[in-house]
Amino acid sequence: MMTLYVHRQSWLHRQPAGLKLLVLMATSVALYALTSLWTAGAALIAVILAYRSLGPAGWSYLWVVKPLLPMFILIFVVQTWSQSVSAAILMLLRMLTLIWLANLVTLTTRMDAMMDAVMPILSPFRRVGVAPHRIAFTVALFVRFVPVLMAVLNSLLEAWKSRGGGRAVWRLAIPMLINAIRMSDHVAQALAARGGVRSPETPVSMVQPQ
Amino acid sequence: MTLTIELNQVTLKRDDQTVLSDLNLTLSERRIGLIGNNGSGKSSLVRLFNGLLQPSQGRLQVRGHNPAGGPEAMADQVGFIFQNPDHQLIFPTVIEELMFGLRNQGLSKADARERAEHCLREHRRLDWAERPVHSLSEGQKQWVCIMAVLVMNPAVLILDEPFSALDLPTRQFLTDWLLGLPQQLIMISHDLDVLAAFDRVLWLEQGQVRGDGDPETVIADYRTACNEAFSL
Amino acid sequence: MKDQALVQMALYAALVAALGLIPPVPFVTGIPITAQTLGVMLAGVMLGPWRGFLSMLLFVGVVALGAPLLSGGRGGLGVFASPTTGFIIGFPVAALVAGYVARLLQRQSILIAAGVGAFVGGILVLYVFGIVGFKLVTGSEWLRSVQVMAVYVPGDSVKVVLTALVAQAVYKGLPGAVATRQA
Repeated sequence: MMTLYVHRQSWLHRQPAGLKLLVLMATSVALYALTSLWTAGAALIAVILAYRSLGPAGWSYLWVVKPLLPMFILIFVVQTWSQSVSAAILMLLRMLTLIWLANLVTLTTRMDAMMDAVMPILSPFRRVGVAPHRIAFTVALFVRFVPVLMAVLNSLLEAWKSRGGGRAVWRLAIPMLINAIRMSDHVAQALAARGGVRSPETPVSMVQPQ
Repeated sequence: MTLTIELNQVTLKRDDQTVLSDLNLTLSERRIGLIGNNGSGKSSLVRLFNGLLQPSQGRLQVRGHNPAGGPEAMADQVGFIFQNPDHQLIFPTVIEELMFGLRNQGLSKADARERAEHCLREHRRLDWAERPVHSLSEGQKQWVCIMAVLVMNPAVLILDEPFSALDLPTRQFLTDWLLGLPQQLIMISHDLDVLAAFDRVLWLEQGQVRGDGDPETVIADYRTACNEAFSL
Repeated sequence: MKDQALVQMALYAALVAALGLIPPVPFVTGIPITAQTLGVMLAGVMLGPWRGFLSMLLFVGVVALGAPLLSGGRGGLGVFASPTTGFIIGFPVAALVAGYVARLLQRQSILIAAGVGAFVGGILVLYVFGIVGFKLVTGSEWLRSVQVMAVYVPGDSVKVVLTALVAQAVYKGLPGAVATRQA
C-alpha cells in the first residue's frame, strides 16, 4: 500500500506516535513565537541532522520540498520587498524547519500507529452515527480503492491517447465518475449481502470492487 | 510502403524488470494471434506497436512508421481496442464516441458527424446514433469501441483480450465480423478457440517467443504446457 | 449513518486521490492547477453537503496519516506545514459549501447549480482558507497574501466550468447519483 513511511529501526521510529505529534505541535507554536534568526537556524540544523537517522541516504528525503522551491523564492522576494531581508530569512528558516520536521514524523510513523493515536479525537463522531470502527472500515475501503480507480484512469488515458487524445483530458472525469458510482453501488450491495459493517472486525478483504 | 511490423532486437524494461528481451520479429500475416500466461509480456508487446510504450533497446517499425512519436502520432495507422468497454467509452452518445477520433484527425464537426453516420449506416445501425452509450449491453458497447476505432480507418487493428466480458454468441459474432475486415489484425486472447482461424499464433513466455507458427500446433503446445506446469 | 453512505464517501475520496494522477497544469510559481479540486467540487455536488464534507475530511485525514495522495504524489504532515496548507484543509469545507449551494439552486439547470456551487465553494471559500493558511504559515501581511493567491484564481476558475460540465454529463446518464437534486 502506498505510504510515505520509511521502514527502519531508528530511535525516532521507536517513539510513540502520540508523543511525536505533541512534540511537533509544541515546536510549531514555539517557532512561531520566536524572533531570533540564530535560534531558528539552530532548529533547522537540528532537524536536518535528524534526517540522518533515516539511514545513509537519509538526507535525500529532504528533497520533499523540491516542488515548493519556486514558491519559496517568490515568497522570499515578496517578504524582502515588503518587510526586510531578515524577516524573509526568518520566515524561510521557520517554514523549512516545520515542513521537514512534520515530514520526519510522517516518515518515521506507521499509518496505523498514527491512526490509533488519533482515534480518541474521533469519538465525537459517534454522535452522528459513525463509531470509530466504522471510521476505520471506511479508511480501509478508501485506501483499497485508490489503486483500483487509478487503474481505471490509466486505462481511460490509454484509450484516449490511442485515438488521438488531445488536451481536453478533463473529459475523462466523466467516465471516472460513472465507474466510481457503479463500483460504489456494487460494493454496497456486496457489503449488505454479508451483513454490513457491524462488528469491529469486519474485514475489508471480503468486499470486492467488481 | 511496407506492410509489416518489424522488431529488431527489441528489449523492454519497466520498473527495473525486463518485460521483453531481444525480440526479432517480422509480422506480415493478416491475422496474428498472441497467447501466453499473465505476465508473459503480451500486453506490453502490443503497446509497442502504437507507441503507448517505447522500447528500452532495439528498433521497431510499424508499416514504415516509427512509433517513437507516441500514440497520438500513430492513431492514424494503428487502432487499439482494450479489454473493458467501460474503461474506453468517454462520450455520452454513440455518435459522439465515433466522432471523437475523427475530430482528432482534423475533421470538422460536420464532416466528422457525416463520416460517423455513414459508418453506422453501413452497418445498419444508424438508429444507434443518439443512444446513450451506457444503455447498451456489454457486447454492444464493445462493438461501439471497435467502430470508434474503425471509423478512423487504421491499417492495423490491435485487440487486447477484447472479449473477456462477453458471452459465447457475442464472441462468435464479433470474431466473424473482425475476420471479415480488411485491416491487419493482431489479437491477444485467452479464448484459444477464437484464434483457430488465424494465420499465425505467437506464444510468449517471460518476454520471449516460446512458440510461433500455425495456430493448431502452437495452441496445442501451449495447452500441453499449461496442463503440465501449473501450480498456484 | 448507513453502510451505503460510508461506501460512497470512501469511493469519492478514492476518486479525488485518483484524479491527482492527471498531470497538473504547471504554473510558474508553484500552486499547480490540478484535476483534484475538480473532484472535491464534484464530491460536494454529487454527494450533498454533509457527505461531501465527510468524504473530503476522510481524504485529507488519510493524507495526514501519510498517504501520498495529493497531486504530485505529496502527502504526510509536511504538507500541512507548507504555504498551500490552507487549500488542503479547506477541501472539506469547499465541498460542503459547493454541495449546499448546488442544493439551494436545484430548481435551476444543473449547469448553473453545479457551476455556482463550484464557484462559491471552490473559489470563494477555498481561497479564503488558502489565503489564511498562507498568511499564517509564511507570516506575510494580509495584503501580500491576498495578492499572491489572487494570481491563481483566473486559471483555477476553469474548474468551475468543468465541474458544471462533468456534473451535467453524469446527471444525464445517472440522474439518481446527484444527491443535490432530489426533491
